[in-house]
Amino acid sequence: MGSARSWLGVIAQTWRIRLLTMLEYKANFFMWFAFTIAYHGVAIGALGATLYNFPSLAGWNFPEIAFLYALWMLGHSTHNLFFFSVGDVPTYVQEGTFDRFLVRPRDVLFQIVSVPNQQWPDELALALVWFVFATWYAHVRVDWIFLAAIPLVVIGGVLIDLAISLAIATISFWFVRVDTLRWVVMSLEQEFTRYPVSIYTRGVRILMAYVLPYAFMNYFPAVYFLHKNGDQLAIVPWLGLLAPLVGAVWFAGAYAFWRVGLNHYQSTGS
Amino acid sequence: MRLEPYVQFASKAFQREATYRVEVVSEIGSLVLRVYLIRALWTSLYAHNAAPPNLPLHKIITYSTVALLLSLILEVDGTRQLREKIRLGTIATDLLKPISLPAFLFSDGLGMTLLHAMNVIPSLLMALLLVHVDRPPTLQAGLAFVAAFALGYGVNFLLNFSMNCVAFWTLETFALQLVVRWLSDLLSGAIIPLAFFPGALQTLLLHLPFAAIYSTPLLIYLGLIHGPQIPQALLEQTAWLAVFVGIGALVWSRGQLRIVVQGG
Repeated sequence: MGSARSWLGVIAQTWRIRLLTMLEYKANFFMWFAFTIAYHGVAIGALGATLYNFPSLAGWNFPEIAFLYALWMLGHSTHNLFFFSVGDVPTYVQEGTFDRFLVRPRDVLFQIVSVPNQQWPDELALALVWFVFATWYAHVRVDWIFLAAIPLVVIGGVLIDLAISLAIATISFWFVRVDTLRWVVMSLEQEFTRYPVSIYTRGVRILMAYVLPYAFMNYFPAVYFLHKNGDQLAIVPWLGLLAPLVGAVWFAGAYAFWRVGLNHYQSTGS
Repeated sequence: MRLEPYVQFASKAFQREATYRVEVVSEIGSLVLRVYLIRALWTSLYAHNAAPPNLPLHKIITYSTVALLLSLILEVDGTRQLREKIRLGTIATDLLKPISLPAFLFSDGLGMTLLHAMNVIPSLLMALLLVHVDRPPTLQAGLAFVAAFALGYGVNFLLNFSMNCVAFWTLETFALQLVVRWLSDLLSGAIIPLAFFPGALQTLLLHLPFAAIYSTPLLIYLGLIHGPQIPQALLEQTAWLAVFVGIGALVWSRGQLRIVVQGG
């Protein structure tokens, strides 16, 4: 399977190609960066205008909602930076271009994540700026626990995001058209995570907490850092600190499912 | 200009769209989720805060749900193919044909729209399982809503058309279009009513062309624009439509001159 050095070589090459692509299409890069700003700006602007009229959303004020958004944005943009191509697997399967990954002498998932694409740390940089602002704005206490826990929460968020997109990718081995499922899950991730999970009915709360555990990307950690209480889903106040554990367990499950799916895909051989 | 070929184009577009049944299911599925979100969000907000004047909970839920149903129609962009035609150079052969290309794009888009408009009915039925949607207060309000929506549809079409014409100058326009689409969703009142924006910003937004797309038809639907305000609102929409016809015609005629430079 090659030495560690050759694996790192592949990663270095991927990033070199990404850099060269960006330098070649500079105007394009700036336009997509403008889109990133517009996307998050519109989401935050709508939240701001809403909370300007309704100061309390289930006990959360706008600075706290801004912090909730920032936590999600950090995890999600880090996931996009490293693992964006996992979401392309259903397209590869549909178009029949997936087979090329199976005949090369590298782990299939490793090949997928090292497909050169146009992801740059611009969204992550924006997320960091917004996170620092929101932390100050929401008066979050910055102590050693905060500084140690945030990177772990972000890693947990990345793993949760990755686990779910990997699971959907795997489902596409059986059902080629997974567009509906992708839409539903994307909507749950991008729109339902903007608000405190406590506003939803019981079934959706359980779904967000323990089935597609997006609540561990931002809601439960925010409950801990903002000292929120009164949610029966959070069994203990520090539940949010378990994000990396939840991420690891869900990723392990998704990866096992992926291996099963790969074997199935090989056996049909289309 | 003979109308008949364009009716045929619209009918072809309708049939083409009808073949993508999976998309229909996804569209309705994601709409149901959004209606659920609307209910959860506003119910919670109204439970913990004082309701703003003129806008009780049932009105905001009606506003957001009808906006969502309208978006099924308004999000269809029939002019998107213009960008591809310019990129690939096939626009050269399209221009040789004895038809008006903008009129073709409009009729093609209208055909696509009609199919998506059919989705509004099952979507509305699904939405009604989750929320209560008010009817327009009077028959006149209902008719004025239809007229205002038609004008808004025209403004939206010409905005999309003009944005796609930008491809005559810079070939990569998709990101730019998404920026405009996103901003226009916020500034047109598609996501939240413009009344939620503070003071001067609100006054400004109510008189920008974006408001003609979602806000004006929806406020007429809710009866918040009523009586003598209705003709005034429709007139303002018509004025924006005229302005955008001008902008569209300008970029289209200037843009065509650029094709020669690219050589196809």
